[in-house]
Amino acid sequence: MRIRKKYLFYALAFTSAIIAAGVSAIDATISALYIPNVWAFAFSCFIVGTVISLMIVLVFSIPLSRKESLGSKIIDPSFKRVRLVRKKELKLHVIAGAGNAVLTLGYLSLLSILGDPSTVLPFSQIVILYLVIIESVTEKNMPTISEIQSSIIVTFGAILVSISLTGSISLEALAIVFLVINPAWVVFSIYQRKLKLLKIDNRPNDSLNIRLWNVIFACIFTTALLLVSDFFMGTGHLIEGITASIEHFDWVALTMGITFFSYVFYIRALGIGRASVTQAVRASTVLFAIPFSLLISYFNIIPPFSTNPVMILIKTIGTILVVLGIISFALAMMKAYVFINVKPGYPIEETMKNLWNIRGVTHVTATAGKYDFIIKIRIRTLVKGYEKIIQKLEEIEAIKKFKWESVLKEWEEI
Amino acid sequence: MRPGKSDRIIKEMRKIENAEKISVVAGEYDIVVRVHVKTLEKLLKVTDKLQLIDGVKKTTTQVIEKEIAL
Repeated sequence: MRIRKKYLFYALAFTSAIIAAGVSAIDATISALYIPNVWAFAFSCFIVGTVISLMIVLVFSIPLSRKESLGSKIIDPSFKRVRLVRKKELKLHVIAGAGNAVLTLGYLSLLSILGDPSTVLPFSQIVILYLVIIESVTEKNMPTISEIQSSIIVTFGAILVSISLTGSISLEALAIVFLVINPAWVVFSIYQRKLKLLKIDNRPNDSLNIRLWNVIFACIFTTALLLVSDFFMGTGHLIEGITASIEHFDWVALTMGITFFSYVFYIRALGIGRASVTQAVRASTVLFAIPFSLLISYFNIIPPFSTNPVMILIKTIGTILVVLGIISFALAMMKAYVFINVKPGYPIEETMKNLWNIRGVTHVTATAGKYDFIIKIRIRTLVKGYEKIIQKLEEIEAIKKFKWESVLKEWEEI
Repeated sequence: MRPGKSDRIIKEMRKIENAEKISVVAGEYDIVVRVHVKTLEKLLKVTDKLQLIDGVKKTTTQVIEKEIAL
């Protein structure tokens, strides 16, 4: 299927956001009614999650033809069948799994403190600020003023939305947000993207196997963490977790089954867009969480919402800020191709390296034909294109001449 | 390509099996098509299909020898 890549990207990220909002309401229900112990809940999530994820991936491994399976047909074209982790993936999976384990523990702790999912979810959106900083280091892409502005708008919007409708902010909750949830989410997100960008057997890595192995590694990490904690602190979280997994298998299986799809869509979106942009779109979960919170509040699972107009106004302003931040973040982006001819007598490898070192260059292609290189560029503004790209190209001695072609519209095979 | 036919040309190009990416660009060229083929013979078939589209005036082919990408 060949469609505008951005449509697929937005569809995936928004679907993931809606599912995540629904899941948080189920999590809040389980936490309030069935498994109040955060450690036991997190552990049961990973035990049951491993079983459920394996079952789902096995179902999607059913072959439809020699080349196609059920999963490749309806979920991810890169998927073939369930497989073992490859050596080159192992390190990335260990780190992403640890990130997921810490993130889940932090998220469930926050949920047990605040109760209301529409208050908890906005806090995790502050991660966008961290991602912009990390991307500027890892992807040779300095953040522009608009990126910084958007990140700050989303961050402040999220803080406003997260002021619970009773008007209180817990310091313990803030510490969990800034020191546990967001750093863990950054690690989780960056390493999931690295995994998605890997090539396995000359095919792009698939989101179904990535998610399955992520849950397995998170389960191993949580088990180790609980073993150490139970041994030194004398607690019994491990046994409680196993008991909770058996007693409330249906509820935990429901939340982990739905979460599986939320993450599969998120991982696929990560493979298409940059981590910070994916996160920006997924931040819309803040909006989708509100009806779910109202629903569980209606059933008295969480305390009823206040009707204080000031609190409602604060929540509305926060929501608008998050949406504005997301829109400005996602829309400002331009691409270009530069066709380059080089002078004879300069080593190709060195010129290629020099081109690659220019910030904003996403592809360097050495070609045979009329041109020697074609580079692809992704920048926020044309001014940046002149300052960061053209000036740098002119500094490379080996370049004889180049031609700039701005991309107006693009279609891509997904 | 000949002016006034861009929409139809792009529609035809999107039907070509091996075309991975189609970018409409501003500059000397009008469209950049990235193609993934197993053999040069298949590349010939793709360029043939491109040139047969009504409105395509001229094509230039660049064969990728090496690539670095994010």
